[in-house]
Amino acid sequence: MNSQLLSSADGSIDKPAALETSNLTFCWDRLQPTLRFPDLNLPRGEHLFLYGPSGTGKSTLLSLLAGMLSPASGVVKLLGTEFHTSGAGKRDRFRADHIGVIFQQFNLVPYLTAEANVTLPCKLSSRRQSATGESPTVAAQRLLSALAIPQSHWQRKVTQLSIGQQQRIAAARALIGAPEIILADEPTSALDSDNRDRFINLLLGLAGERNTSVVFVSHDRSLARCFHHQIELGQVSA
Amino acid sequence: MKFRLALSLATASLWYRRKVLALVCLTLTLSVTLLLGVQYLRTEVKQSFTSTISDTDLIIGARSGQLNLLLYTVFHMGDATNNIRWSTFQALEKDARIDWLIPISLGDSYKGFRVVATDKAFKEYFRYGQGQPLELAGGQWFDGIFDVVLGAGVARTLNHHLNDDVILSHGGGRTSFSNHKDTPFRITGILEATGTPVDQAVYISLQGMEAIHVGWESGVAISGRTLTPERAQARDLTPSAITAVFAGLDRKILTFRVQRDINQYAGEPLSAILPGVALSELWRLMSQFERALLGITGFVVVTSLIGLIAVLLTLQAQRAHEIAILRATGASPGLIASLYVIECLGLAVVACLTALVLSSLAISILGPWLLTNYGIQIQLRPLNLEEWALLASVPLAALLVAFVPALSAWQKSRSQGFGSPEEL
Repeated sequence: MNSQLLSSADGSIDKPAALETSNLTFCWDRLQPTLRFPDLNLPRGEHLFLYGPSGTGKSTLLSLLAGMLSPASGVVKLLGTEFHTSGAGKRDRFRADHIGVIFQQFNLVPYLTAEANVTLPCKLSSRRQSATGESPTVAAQRLLSALAIPQSHWQRKVTQLSIGQQQRIAAARALIGAPEIILADEPTSALDSDNRDRFINLLLGLAGERNTSVVFVSHDRSLARCFHHQIELGQVSA
Repeated sequence: MKFRLALSLATASLWYRRKVLALVCLTLTLSVTLLLGVQYLRTEVKQSFTSTISDTDLIIGARSGQLNLLLYTVFHMGDATNNIRWSTFQALEKDARIDWLIPISLGDSYKGFRVVATDKAFKEYFRYGQGQPLELAGGQWFDGIFDVVLGAGVARTLNHHLNDDVILSHGGGRTSFSNHKDTPFRITGILEATGTPVDQAVYISLQGMEAIHVGWESGVAISGRTLTPERAQARDLTPSAITAVFAGLDRKILTFRVQRDINQYAGEPLSAILPGVALSELWRLMSQFERALLGITGFVVVTSLIGLIAVLLTLQAQRAHEIAILRATGASPGLIASLYVIECLGLAVVACLTALVLSSLAISILGPWLLTNYGIQIQLRPLNLEEWALLASVPLAALLVAFVPALSAWQKSRSQGFGSPEEL
């Protein structure tokens, strides 16, 4: 394993872990090589940058962390719970309650308005709904304003919005109800550099306010400076 | 809460894909309309069929099967096997158990419509539907020898009016070469439409029937021997034979005994039938056909449901992104599957409601037209239990077939990874 954890300056050891993995492996099928992942340990409220070229299993790792795939071996612990041993239904509920997600593109349900897309997690999780403190709509509007989506766009069909706006709406959806973990899979790869920096600053700033840990996957190494930790996913070992 | 989410997502998704789905929904709507229409017509036709004749307890004719007797006396189809003697009719008149008798004599036609020779009793006692009597739309029932009363359908088809003269033809058929041209008849009355075979016949007196056949004993007119109208008045025109008799009894409880007595009549071989029984036997024969029709319509509905499923399965490929988002946000595979079930069910319910509106519109528009042009009486009425069940079976079937896309979505989304499938 040639990946390494670059520790941040502050004493993160005392904080409870948002996510921990050890000896994680995954195999799509018998013909393909087994993917091995470095051990992760991310304290609550801190952000992790996962770097790796294509084919190193970045998305697969996120699937394992999100509980959408089960590892071949190893341990995934989210917020102190052993996640990989839970049943699929329990993992779905856990994901709804504690994890926000942002994809590379096609982040939004095309037939819902911007606002309805943002409030979607509150409808799937009563925990996230009550965590908004106010009505989910008000919380969504607050986030959309914070993410610089003009009010005139809130009730629009999301297919009419620009890619940058769509990604920021997805960020609002991931942030609503203050989940403990946000998993972001190359969310900036379709954005130009101005939009990219703005997106990352807004996302990390708002996540920091909510004590939310962000796991950010990208092949663009220059982004690493914004994060507390970074890990490089290495070659695939057979 | 999850159900409300699924419902709102499914509704939004249906609306989003309305252009494609409107077409499959239209197909389903049309097939359900057809199904409802066929079922509706089935019950209406049966209703109008079984109410062809009413209040008549027995139909008496020469010895034959009951269907044959029913067909030629009531429906004017086919021919009598034999006649019954006038003396037999007189003997029946003396029977105290019999309240009334309508003699009828068949054999001639007018431009393809049957000529029914009868007497005043026909107007007085013949009933159809729920005991409705015959009404005249104009004029009066025949009185003279050469008076004729037209059924509503005949008058409408041939555009005849009161006091027109008509020439009857010998025997059946639309174009006859032997016409009773020496003895024209005058139209004295036109009946109201009844929606029964009564509309498709012309009515003359027994004496008139007798008069036009004087000199026709060999089957063709022998010139010089036929009657002129003037000479007919002077002659005794009591018929020697008639074709059949409709009878009404004083006490219905005696029907079977009278029937048995007539069947065993010593004077000549007779058959007496109960029209209700014969009608339902005839309907049983026809019901094979109408059931087959309903079956075919059912298959049309099934075909459109399969079409609906095919479209939903095709759309599934388009929906990979949105399913990925929902799954990653924490929606269970069950929720994803329920979207398909709700969408399919929703489309079926919309199709059924539209079909209901469509078919009621069609019936209220076509009803009057059918009555005037075909004498078929169809009115808008509330659906009966069977029709509600038939209608409800469409969403139920949709629910059943919805499990095809739902299961496939469920299975796919269970192994769904993070992000859209092609990004993995």
